[in-house]
Amino acid sequence: MPDAGAGVVRFFPEGIDVPLSPGDSLLAHALRAGVPLLAPCGGESRCGKCRVGVAGAVKGGDDPGVLSPAERAAGIRLACRCVPLSGKVSVTVLPESRPARLAAYLDGKDMAGDGPFLPLQRAAAGCRPFGVALDLGTSTLAGALVDLSDGAVLARASSDNPQMACGEDLISRVVFAEETPGGFEFLRERLLRGVENLVARLLSRTDLRGEVTDVCAAGNTVISHVLYGLDPSPIRRPPYRPVQKEYPVATGRALGIAAAPDAQWRIFPSLGGFVGGDVVADILASGMHRDEEVSLLFDVGTNGEVALGNRDWRIACSSSAGPAFEGGDIGCGMRAYPGAIESVRIDRATGVPSFTVIGRGRPAGLCGSGILDLCAEMFRAGLVDRAGRFARRGDAPLRSTDRGEAYVVVPADRSATGREVTLCEADLKSILRTKAALCAAAEAMLRAVGLPLGSVARVYVAGGFGNFLDLRSALTIGLFPPFPLPRFLPLGNASLAGAIGALRNRRRWKEALELAPATLYHDLSSDPAFMELYQRALFLPHTDEEGYRAALAGTGAAT
Amino acid sequence: MALTALEIYKLLPKTNCKDCGFPTCLAFAMQMAAGKATVELCPHASEEAKETLGSAAAPPLPKVTIGTGRDEVILGDETVLFRHEKTFYHPTAIAVSVSDDLPPDAFGERLRAIRALSFERVGQRIGVDLVALRCGSGDPVAYAKAAAAALEATGLPLVLLAPPGPLAAAADAVEGSRPLLAPPAADLGAAAKMAAERKLPLRVRADGIGGLYDALRAARAAGAKELVADPAPGDSRGAVEGSVQIRRLAILSRNRDLACPTAFDLGEPFPEPFGTAALLIPKYGSLLVLDTADPADILPLLTLRQNVFTDPQRPIQVEPGVYAVGNVTSSSPVLITTNFSLTYFTVRGDVEASRVPAYLLIADVDGMSVLTAWAAGKFTGESIAKMLSGCGIGEKVGHRTLILPGMVARLSGRIEELSSWRVLVGPQESSAIPPYLRRLPPAAFLPANA
Amino acid sequence: MTVALPEQRFPGRILPVTLPAGPGGSPVTVGGQNALPCTPEGERPNLPAVGMEVRTGAEELPPSLRSAIGELAADPVSLARRCVSEWGARFLFLDLSLCHPDSGGRSVADGAALAREVLDAVPAPVIVGGCGDEEVDARLFPAVAEAAPRPVFLSYAEEKNYRLLAGAALAYGHGLVSWSPIDINMAKQINLLLADLGFPADRVIMDPLTGGLGYGLEYTCSIVERIRLSGLQGDAMLARPVLCHLGDAWKAREASDASETSWGDADRRGRRWEETTGLACLAAGADLLVCRHPGNVARLSGAAWR
Repeated sequence: MPDAGAGVVRFFPEGIDVPLSPGDSLLAHALRAGVPLLAPCGGESRCGKCRVGVAGAVKGGDDPGVLSPAERAAGIRLACRCVPLSGKVSVTVLPESRPARLAAYLDGKDMAGDGPFLPLQRAAAGCRPFGVALDLGTSTLAGALVDLSDGAVLARASSDNPQMACGEDLISRVVFAEETPGGFEFLRERLLRGVENLVARLLSRTDLRGEVTDVCAAGNTVISHVLYGLDPSPIRRPPYRPVQKEYPVATGRALGIAAAPDAQWRIFPSLGGFVGGDVVADILASGMHRDEEVSLLFDVGTNGEVALGNRDWRIACSSSAGPAFEGGDIGCGMRAYPGAIESVRIDRATGVPSFTVIGRGRPAGLCGSGILDLCAEMFRAGLVDRAGRFARRGDAPLRSTDRGEAYVVVPADRSATGREVTLCEADLKSILRTKAALCAAAEAMLRAVGLPLGSVARVYVAGGFGNFLDLRSALTIGLFPPFPLPRFLPLGNASLAGAIGALRNRRRWKEALELAPATLYHDLSSDPAFMELYQRALFLPHTDEEGYRAALAGTGAAT
Repeated sequence: MALTALEIYKLLPKTNCKDCGFPTCLAFAMQMAAGKATVELCPHASEEAKETLGSAAAPPLPKVTIGTGRDEVILGDETVLFRHEKTFYHPTAIAVSVSDDLPPDAFGERLRAIRALSFERVGQRIGVDLVALRCGSGDPVAYAKAAAAALEATGLPLVLLAPPGPLAAAADAVEGSRPLLAPPAADLGAAAKMAAERKLPLRVRADGIGGLYDALRAARAAGAKELVADPAPGDSRGAVEGSVQIRRLAILSRNRDLACPTAFDLGEPFPEPFGTAALLIPKYGSLLVLDTADPADILPLLTLRQNVFTDPQRPIQVEPGVYAVGNVTSSSPVLITTNFSLTYFTVRGDVEASRVPAYLLIADVDGMSVLTAWAAGKFTGESIAKMLSGCGIGEKVGHRTLILPGMVARLSGRIEELSSWRVLVGPQESSAIPPYLRRLPPAAFLPANA
Repeated sequence: MTVALPEQRFPGRILPVTLPAGPGGSPVTVGGQNALPCTPEGERPNLPAVGMEVRTGAEELPPSLRSAIGELAADPVSLARRCVSEWGARFLFLDLSLCHPDSGGRSVADGAALAREVLDAVPAPVIVGGCGDEEVDARLFPAVAEAAPRPVFLSYAEEKNYRLLAGAALAYGHGLVSWSPIDINMAKQINLLLADLGFPADRVIMDPLTGGLGYGLEYTCSIVERIRLSGLQGDAMLARPVLCHLGDAWKAREASDASETSWGDADRRGRRWEETTGLACLAAGADLLVCRHPGNVARLSGAAWR
């Protein structure tokens, strides 16, 4: 029993209480309380995003490098560094530190979904059979409820992946699992509970009564391993091989998921350590595995993946691109929630920005499409040179900060957070690295098989971000190789679309099982050409800039 | 031209049966395109595929071996004009000459000097490969005796530069050691027969490419099989252009008549032998005969050869260890990063720009960048703690404070746990190092009291 | 028998660049070729040129250089004269390391004055190198650009400082050496950045960073070969003359250590080390070589036929 002096930490606005555990950070308390709190760096005090307002006896978390004197005076602290001492401590999670939810991550196109309705499960006697399609992403869990008696999608829902608290990227999470006592169990538990909650939410959104009989889940290899109860550690070490690539059908009960205990769970097979079943589902939805012509597919998410091929052969890789376009690694980056700047234009003459905000409220930060636009506009306006260095010009709102030169998109008095929304040189370098990794991954695969750019007939862009990105901005900064604009086809959340497709038609699930082993996993870390292509792409738009000029001018050099 | 992976793939059965040992037919095709697998591994390949891929895979420049066993020298067997296209496989062989008419003491001394031309460089032994025995005496008995003595004293394979009489005698005297027969141009016929009978490699020397064409045909007609071509140049330019032309005939023209490894005798009276050798090492010379046995000449040539014949796909790595930047003292800051060359150059440049003298620890992570090395488990709390205790930095500075790259801030706890060092988390971007170092209070680097 | 010899013909041509000379001196023009080095085909109106480095900062010379130029080490102006009049250097690379805080720490004004003195003393073309300290160089280059009585080339512009150097060079009509760390992409990138500022292409020569023999020379050779191939194949940003500065050859222990007697005479060995480095660069396609040993000017020029 805690003694009388034992304290309590209360989280607002939820009003959840949790006993004060001396020595633990507020972030650890939040984790225990189940309070959503952004900590993209996994509590390493790198990102400065876990801001909370604090009242009560605390120490630490007032890093002067991250928080302004005014913020500190107002009781704002970094939750990962701030330790409650005693008594009653009130913690308010600030809006920008709160993960929100948006349907943007749900819509996806199924380019190959024209087949007959042949559900995995024939209607069982007595109740209506439901199928659940899942896209288990590094940052977001998305799902759809499918009526297996007619194939209708009854509901869609998404939530943040609760594993975010254990690190924003996959490697951080694997390290967390390895180094924290009970880390793997904790990581798995969070995933299972997150999945349960998502399934429960889906079921709550329909008035129909039924029973979940089948689940199709697409996820990266680490998440698939954790879901299946396999140790993901081997994936991060050379030769970067997963424990297994296929996951035999199991019941929810066997996996430890209470939400659909009797359902048959089908996890999309993985291609390799860093290319998972989500990419198999992408390919399935794109239909590139049925075409004679060669297609290229990008999945722009927290990790960038690229697949290349046609009906005979396919090759796929992970670009090890960072999460810049999900708002990670960027000072004022955020995900595509209300308050995020989603598009930006810069006046060529004055260098002054104008922008649009999701939800039309005051801007709080920049989401992926806004970041992409901003970079492209700064480059077009001559505020950034090809190497990503800022250049002062005219009345452009550029100023020096302790993070280097920064471009001020929103002044402090007009933002939702009371802090400026800026993009600094270090942010731009991070974006440059992300885009270079993605572009170079595609080029490395084309080179590995010996195909010129012109032989690619279609370029699919999957991922929630893909629905909203401005392709001209993308080509202006060289996010992709210079294909003519008409060749691009945004797919949205193709992983989820692929999983839905597999639920609706058992032949397509078979296709997925067949296409995976016939798709070669290309390990870029052992491709000697990759580092050089990466260096070549680490420029705006690219060191071989001629092709981009032609692609943007619409003359189609890559035809 | 070499086939691309997809071109090869189209010739394969496309069944992904894995019988070749690769996961898919495309994977197998990619390995073949990279020259790392041959069509024989596929049990289901069609005759057409075997024919097309078999000939595409054969090296355009034949292989010639001189000597046997451990000291065997391989010439030729190259596939590209530029090392960045793949790699150069068989290093230019260096032969140092000795004449059979030297007085016995001087002859023995010369052989000892040649044998001593062997050096250890970056963990590799580099040395002279062959002894070129000139026939000054004209006497078959003396020449044969000298050949046996040279082989005995050095153990190196021989290049026998002699007319037919002494050549035959020496070849008998060193039977089984597989010397290269190198007769004067005029004696090609007799020597070619000798090479055919004894199954020995033969150097064919003739004036220019046209002369070589005829001479090589004649040698082949006499039954000689392993041929090395010497276009008998008169000067440096002639030698280099001849060498380039023969290589291009082999690689670009696929000319089977002239596709041979090359040999150049740069001994007296050839002008500028040293400079010519230094040009011929990168420019396709297969075998060079030099008169100099001066280590001050030979060491640079062997080093150049060692450089040129490395695999260009190996990433540029920096030697791991402790680097001092500026006028360091025992209270200079200590930073750590990895041995990927770009990482090193960038960090070093930024430390220099700070004008704060500092020690830079370069960790051995097989040439990976900081984040890649961390992800791959090569840049860890353990490996850094081990480096801190093993690299000698503890004797160079009085403090125990390490500046860690901001990207791997999470390693700080583990390092502090495993070593006696305190960790400061440095900037995430190297470009932020100069202001960071300038802002650090000097007190951070005073000698540790505890 | 006449054999049909293969030829490699290219659509591109290396841009000719002239290092201007003073009154009575001979300018050095390099580039203009449309063929690879060490081949007989194509046109090559200008042969590679060999120049010498004149160092100004305090340093300890390796034995080979001590015996050759040791007596002039403290007198850069006399050294510059001898390089040109006696040893045949076609241009000079004046390195202003005397302004570096670690090797003299002389003022920027002193550095600029010395540059002016050397330029007045010799008519040969001059490339002026900075001291290597980023902050000092940021002041030194503009001072040199202003003080120089005739056009020179400033060495070197990289991603960090190219705006500053291009500005200084444009204002006074100088040329630039564009530098990159043994990376063909970065070599092209710095040229693109200069082009974006409107810097004239015919006043740029490329320095891809020359590793010394035994210490990365092979990487440089491959990069020079690739730059040349790309330029000849039509990439205008890489169709530029290449300069190889052989200074790193002297940093090798083999070039300076007199205690290793099994390596032969240190004097000869040092000279050979630099010569070998230079010859490999020539074979790869270098257009300008900068050496330090007087004897190597003639040796390297003798191999510059290609």
